[in-house]
Amino acid sequence: MPERRDGGAAAFPLPVLMVLAWLVPGLGHMLVGRRSRAVVFFVVVVIAFLLGITLDGELILPHAGDPLSYLAAIASVGNGVLFFVAHAVGLGQGVVTSPAYEFGNTFLLTAGMMNMLLVLDVHDIGTGKKDW
Amino acid sequence: MVDHLTLMVLDALLIAVFFSFLWKREKRERMMYFWKVFGALVLGAIVLGWLMYPFPRS
Repeated sequence: MPERRDGGAAAFPLPVLMVLAWLVPGLGHMLVGRRSRAVVFFVVVVIAFLLGITLDGELILPHAGDPLSYLAAIASVGNGVLFFVAHAVGLGQGVVTSPAYEFGNTFLLTAGMMNMLLVLDVHDIGTGKKDW
Repeated sequence: MVDHLTLMVLDALLIAVFFSFLWKREKRERMMYFWKVFGALVLGAIVLGWLMYPFPRS
């Protein structure tokens, strides 16, 4: 059954919606009336992020001379407010000796990239390219 | 918690749920897509692991 929508797409300008969608996973979808999907996206991204932190993953920042770290940093920052809060409280430093380190990184990067896809989806909904 | 297969399955599960809700609208479509993505990720990783098995690390 198609999801029920309550409108709301005009409540914020599209760029603001996209920033909000980036900051909080699912918030963009919530604001355009896709509530059930917003809840699912929030839960999935937050679980992936928390698993990444729990598994000693690293919120990667750019390292000079390491081009791949720039891509990883984009994915890390893609987690939005989760990234900033984790950094502020000293989480996500990464424990390279941990057996789960690489898996932690995978979860953190996956969460960030999923959140960035949500921003693009909100853009498509906001511009009318996607009507559900 | 650090069992690699379990973590890989968990990651595949989250990704499959995410994409089925991102790209599919109807419940039945989502279920079909979920199992396709989940199966492709898990089985693909296992197959890739076996294909890499004969190659030495260094």
